[in-house]
Amino acid sequence: MDNLQELLHGFTVAVTAPHLVLMVIGVLLGILVGVLPGLGAPNGVSLLLPLTFGMQPVSAIILLSSMYWGALFGGSVTSILFNIPGEPSSVATTFDGYPMARDGRPTTALATAFGSAAFGALVGVILITFLASWVAQVALAFGPPEYFAVYFLAFASFVGMGGAAPIKTVVALAIGFAIAAIGIDTVSGSVRLTMGIDELVKGVNFVVAVMGLFGIGELLVAVEEEFHARAVSSTIDWREVFRAVGRLPRHGVALLRSAAIGCWMGITPGGPTAASFMSYGIARRFSRRGRHFGTGEIEGIISPETADHAAGTSALLPMLSLGIPGSATAAVMMGGLMIWGLNPGPMLFVDNKDFVWGLIASMYVGNIVAVALVLLTVPVFAALMRIPFVVIAPLIVIICVVGAYSVSNSYLDVVLMLGFGVVGYLFKKLFYPLAPLVLAIVIGDKAEDAFRQSMLMSKGSLGIFFANGLVTSLVVAGIALLLLPLALQLVHLLRKPGSTTAETDKEKAII
Amino acid sequence: MISRRALELLTAILTGSFGVAVVVSSLDNGIGWSSEGVDPGTFPFLTGVIIVLGSLYNLVRGVLPPVTLASVPIAITRTELRRLAGLFVPAAIFVAAIPLAGMYLAAAGYVFAVLAVPRHQSLPRALTMAAATSLALYVVFERMFQVTLPHGALAAALGL
Repeated sequence: MDNLQELLHGFTVAVTAPHLVLMVIGVLLGILVGVLPGLGAPNGVSLLLPLTFGMQPVSAIILLSSMYWGALFGGSVTSILFNIPGEPSSVATTFDGYPMARDGRPTTALATAFGSAAFGALVGVILITFLASWVAQVALAFGPPEYFAVYFLAFASFVGMGGAAPIKTVVALAIGFAIAAIGIDTVSGSVRLTMGIDELVKGVNFVVAVMGLFGIGELLVAVEEEFHARAVSSTIDWREVFRAVGRLPRHGVALLRSAAIGCWMGITPGGPTAASFMSYGIARRFSRRGRHFGTGEIEGIISPETADHAAGTSALLPMLSLGIPGSATAAVMMGGLMIWGLNPGPMLFVDNKDFVWGLIASMYVGNIVAVALVLLTVPVFAALMRIPFVVIAPLIVIICVVGAYSVSNSYLDVVLMLGFGVVGYLFKKLFYPLAPLVLAIVIGDKAEDAFRQSMLMSKGSLGIFFANGLVTSLVVAGIALLLLPLALQLVHLLRKPGSTTAETDKEKAII
Repeated sequence: MISRRALELLTAILTGSFGVAVVVSSLDNGIGWSSEGVDPGTFPFLTGVIIVLGSLYNLVRGVLPPVTLASVPIAITRTELRRLAGLFVPAAIFVAAIPLAGMYLAAAGYVFAVLAVPRHQSLPRALTMAAATSLALYVVFERMFQVTLPHGALAAALGL
């Protein structure tokens, strides 16, 4: 219970009036950069960094981490309202969040997302508080084979081989892998698949692909269907915000399961993106209403959001305890730590107790501040849905264009983004699934690198994936998840022959 | 009017040619096993082959539509096509105009054209919205977060 005492001490450091003001400022700025695709937490943190040089380290890290919370929350807003995920980790939120918002329930969708995100973050912080040292050890046990196994698990849980048009799924997945491979190969250093275009050396950024596939593609589908003004209630309904949050405990199983997946993926450096996809995939498979996923299911929003934030929070731990930044934002923050005269790493917990526990305490408070602020803004964001389509459509196009450009200041990215828009439209029209494509773009490259590094270590033997308990159990779990739907389908087929075709048709209609 | 069959064929050909490009391009990187481990071209090569095979399958399925597909022979009707073009063509022109006019001018012109030409909004309102869009972009990106958006060849020629 040493930790508990330290934490209480941390609260006395973190909860002061100036710090609360800093949190509010940080969270609001974070929401702004999170909502705007193309800008993200790294932009915001690097912008604020120079301002923090004169501050106490605790105050500085509180400002920066609050900004990070705000950006995590803000990223879900555009995913839900316009189908444009601002960050890789909020892609899975679009699958059910956007249909629900389009259905005329944007307030419910946003409030559900924020509520479950807050729960996930809370579980992540609790984990950090009590298991800091143990968690650090787990992270150290991860080498290339384990990395690959984690990515494999994420793929396996998400990409079921059942469902409609399996060959289209395979093609979409393979295209994603190919796109991920474009650019410099990190293992050998050679340039791949640039097809003679020099600018492609930097690769195709995920944001560029997603803005096109989801943002522009969805616009094209919507305009074709003549986007009628939906029945969004014109009065701002505050009560719905609280009702939606109040309904969350009913989905306790989904919340806990997703938080567990998120923490696990955050500690093992699978990261928030893999966590949210995996959580969504598992929820779809095990939820009683799994077959309605994709049409605006509550649990389809809860699962990715909870896992995303649980992973995002617990991923800060490797940064503090090992000095390994888990993300671009963490890397910038770590630069800050060093400028303030602190050395991230195991000794931080010994030398700067005030700082570490002040930060952990501020995570509790900062998340509460963030969720309160963000829930207050729900009706404002929901009101965006009432802007007529003719006005909002060009604005979405501009946001996608600016977002694609600002990723790496490249005009080619803008053109690519538009091309992805056409592909997204065609794929949607013909029932090619977009999710496996995006998942492959996001983690395909890392998975390939991990696989090849393991092959180098083992001199070509696949035995390395069964070399120790950790990696074996990960691989076996992945294979089991991959084969489960096939096995279930076989059982189904044997029991009542003839009923499966009707089901695939239904699925086709949903996708 | 575009039939479902034509659209399926078009998409399969599109994915298939991407697959072929991937296969050809990855051969340059070397495939197989060398002293440096798995060669960099191996995985792209395999994914390329999978894409090509899958596209061929989809192509054949597209030519011989099974019963379920036959029930929706028309994928995009004439009106739908017009609406699609109404959104996509201005957007493409906007993107094409960026290198010359810069992001701010192109965005303002785009918003103005889309709102004012089909008479969705009155002229003054369309003008205001166009100006507001560019101004908001400038304040948020260039000023607040110091992300430079392209100013365009025109601005450069004028010495801005």
